[in-house]
Amino acid sequence: MNTPFFELKNVSKYFARVVANKDISFSVNRGEVLALLGENGAGKSTVMKILYGLYKADEGQILMDGKEQKITSPKDAMALGISMIQQHFSLVSAHTVTENIILGNVNGVIDYEKCKKEVEELSSQYGFQIPVDAKVEELAVGVQQKVEILKALYLKTSLLIMDEPTAVLTPQEAETLMEFVKEYTSRGNSVIFITHKMKEVMEVADRIIVMRNGRITGDLSAKETNEVELTRLMMGKEMVPPKREQAEEQKEKKVCLELSSVTVQRKGEPPLLSDLSFQIMEGEVFGVAGVSGNGQEELCEVVCGALPVTSGKVLLNGTDITSTSIRERIDQGIGYVPVDRYRDAMVGEMTLAENMMLKTSFDKKWISHGFLNKKKLQNDTQKAIDEFDIKAPGPDAQIKGLSGGNQQKVILAREVGNAGKVLIMDQPTRGLDLGAINNIHNNILAERKNGKGILLVSTELSEIFQLCDRIAVIYKGSFMGIYDHDQLNTERIGLLMAGYKEEKEA
Amino acid sequence: MIISLLKRALMMSTPLLFGSIAEVIAERSGMMVTAIEGIFLMGAWGGFVGTYLTGSAFIGILAAILSGLVAAAVYGVVCIYLKQHQVVTGTAINVLAAGICTYLQRVLFGVPTAPLKISPLPEIAIPVLSKIPVMGPVFFQQNILTYVVYLLIPASYFLLFKTSFGLTIRSTGENPEAVDVAGINVNAVRFFTVLLAGVMGGIAGAFYSVGYLGMFTTNIIGGRGWIAFAICFLGNWNPKGAVLGTVVFGLTEAIAIYMQSVGGGSYFPNELFIALPYLLTIILTVSRRNFNVPAKLGVAYSKEN
Repeated sequence: MNTPFFELKNVSKYFARVVANKDISFSVNRGEVLALLGENGAGKSTVMKILYGLYKADEGQILMDGKEQKITSPKDAMALGISMIQQHFSLVSAHTVTENIILGNVNGVIDYEKCKKEVEELSSQYGFQIPVDAKVEELAVGVQQKVEILKALYLKTSLLIMDEPTAVLTPQEAETLMEFVKEYTSRGNSVIFITHKMKEVMEVADRIIVMRNGRITGDLSAKETNEVELTRLMMGKEMVPPKREQAEEQKEKKVCLELSSVTVQRKGEPPLLSDLSFQIMEGEVFGVAGVSGNGQEELCEVVCGALPVTSGKVLLNGTDITSTSIRERIDQGIGYVPVDRYRDAMVGEMTLAENMMLKTSFDKKWISHGFLNKKKLQNDTQKAIDEFDIKAPGPDAQIKGLSGGNQQKVILAREVGNAGKVLIMDQPTRGLDLGAINNIHNNILAERKNGKGILLVSTELSEIFQLCDRIAVIYKGSFMGIYDHDQLNTERIGLLMAGYKEEKEA
Repeated sequence: MIISLLKRALMMSTPLLFGSIAEVIAERSGMMVTAIEGIFLMGAWGGFVGTYLTGSAFIGILAAILSGLVAAAVYGVVCIYLKQHQVVTGTAINVLAAGICTYLQRVLFGVPTAPLKISPLPEIAIPVLSKIPVMGPVFFQQNILTYVVYLLIPASYFLLFKTSFGLTIRSTGENPEAVDVAGINVNAVRFFTVLLAGVMGGIAGAFYSVGYLGMFTTNIIGGRGWIAFAICFLGNWNPKGAVLGTVVFGLTEAIAIYMQSVGGGSYFPNELFIALPYLLTIILTVSRRNFNVPAKLGVAYSKEN
C-alpha cells in the first residue's frame, strides 16, 4: 500500500466542555479530491483548521508521507505545502491583487514590479485572467476566489483546503472552479473541500468523508455511494424533503401583493432596483433567484417599508401602500424575515418572549391594565416553541444562547404571526443545517396552503426549485424575467443570474 | 521677524510630527492610540526627571522613551490582549498619567517655591546649510529632535509603503484575518506599533519639557497629544498628509505665541489664537470627506469569530 500524502490519526479537539472533534482519522493521497461532508457544527471546519494550524488539536497526530509533523501555526502548515481558503475570503479588499498575494511571503523591501510579474505568470499558468493591479474590492466574487487560489499557488501549495468554496458562486463560476480542481490535482496535488452540498460532492470528489457531531460517520469512495446513503450518514436518519403540492388551477386566485414599476435610485448612482413589476397571488410562493447583492435586500425592504421607492407603486390587496410606514404595514399583515437576523431581526441579549413581541410591542394585545401582559406573552411564546419545534430551555431564555436554526425558527414564528397577508423571506435558510432547513421549508409550504402570498428570496437554487410556483431572476436590480416553475433548469437560471439575457425574450 | 516666526513654527511642529506619525503607523495596524495624550505627558515628565537628576539631556530622552513605553505597554496589553475598548482604555490612561505625573513629581521634589529648571536642548547650526538665506536659519538652526524628524518622515513612509512589514501593518488594519491566515501574529504586529507609538510619543513629550521649556508642569502637554491624534485623521493616515497637517498646526501655534509676546491682543483677543489650532481641528475634521479609514480601526481581533 502507498503511504498517504497526509494522514490524521485520532485527532480530538474540545472547546470548553464541548467536543468539536473526536477521534478523527482519515488520509488523503496525492492527486486525490477529498470531500468533507457534514451539517453545520459537525466539526468539518474545525478539523481543517487543525490541519492548517489555526487551532491546536488536544489529542492525535498529523502525518505527512508517513512522518509525524507538528503543525502549530499556519506558517508550519504552509512550510509543508498546505493552504486553506476560508469560507469568508481573507483578502484585504482595499489592497491590490498583488499586495494580497505577497502578504506574508516577502521580506524586507518590496520590489513591486518583480512581484507583479511573478503573479501574472502564475495566473496565466492556470488560465486565470486576473488584473494584478486592481483593488480586490473592485473584483467580482468569483475572481476574488481566484485571487485566494493564486495566493495558495504562490506558496507552491500541494494540499489545498477549501471551505464551502461554491457557496458564493454562480453555477457557471462553480463549473470553472471544478475544472481548476481537476487540472490542479492532475499535477499530483491534492484538494480537500468542505461542503454540505451533495451535488458537487458527487461531481468532483474521489473520496468522501462524512462527519456528524464531531465524529466521522463514513469514509466512502464516491463511485460506491449515493446521495441517499450520504444523507443518512450526515443526518443520522432518513429525511424526506417536503413536496410542493400542485396548486389548484381552476380556482380564481386573488392578487395579494403587487409592485408596479418600482425603481429605487440614489442621486448620481446606478439604480438599486429598476422598474420592477410583479404580482404575488394568494397561496403562491414567488421566488427571487440571483447572486446575493443584486438588489434582493432592497426589494424586500421596499415591500416591508424600510426603503422608500424613487418611483413606482406597492399595492397590498389592491390598496396603495407605497407611502405607508413600516408599522402600518405590520398592522396590515406584512411579515418579514430579513437576511441578516443578527442585525435586523433579533436582540441577542433579550429573551425569546421579548423577541417575539419585538415588532408588535405597541400592539394592545400585549397590554392588560396598562402593564405588559407577561402571562399572555409567555403562553404565546410557549405555543410558538411547541408549534415550530424550537429547541430552547423556555420563553425566558436569552435568544443568543440558541443555535442559528432555532433562532431563525423564533423569527419565523413571529413573522408568520405578523404576516396576515404577505410573508417576505430573504434567504431564510442561509447557514442552517438540513434539519432546520427542512423544518422551515415545511412551514413555508404550510403558509402557502393557508393562502398567504410569499416572497422568497434565495441564492440556493435547490430551494427555489423546491418551493416556488413562479421564479423571477434578479440581476443588478432588475428582473431578467419571470418564469413558471417548469420553465427553468439549473443551466438556464445560472446564465440569467450571471446577467446573460436570452435572445427570445418576451 | 518672518524668519523667527517660521523657525518657531517648525520647532513647534516637531513633537506634533513625532506624535502624528506614530499615530499613523499604529492606526494603520488598527490601533487607535487614544492614550497618546497620556504618553506625551509621561514622556514630558520622564524626560524632565531624567535630565534634572543626571544633568544629561540624552539620558533624559532615554527616560522619556521608557516612560512613553510604559504607558503604551499598559494600553497595548489592555486593548490587544485583554480586548478592552480602545477609546475607554485610552481615556483612562490619560487621566491616570496626569495623576501619576503630579504625584511622583511631588514625591520627588515636594512643592518647590520656584519652578525647577533644566537647560533646554541647544540649537545646533548645521555647517554650511545654516548659512543659506532664510531657509538656513529656519530649517538648519534647530535642536537635535527636529533633525531626527527630518529623517523620520521619509523613513516612516518607506516603512509603510515599500517594505513587507509595512504591507503587514496596513493589512492588519484592514483585515487582520488575512494576516492571521498568512501565518503572521496579528496581536504581535499591533503590540509592536503601539510600543513604537510609545517610543515616539515619549520623545514628543520630552520635546516640550527637555527640548523647549526646560521645566515640567502638569499641564505642559495641554491637549497637544490630541492634536497629533487629529492630525493623523486629517493627513488621511499617511505620513505625507501628517506633515501637511502638522505644518498648519505648528504655524497657528507659533502665531499665537508670537502675538502673545508682541501684544497683538490689542487687535485680537489673545485667546483666539490659542484656541485656533483646536478650532481648526474641528473645522477640518468635519469638512474633510472621503476618509481612507483603516477598515478595522479600533476593533480588537479574536480568532474565534
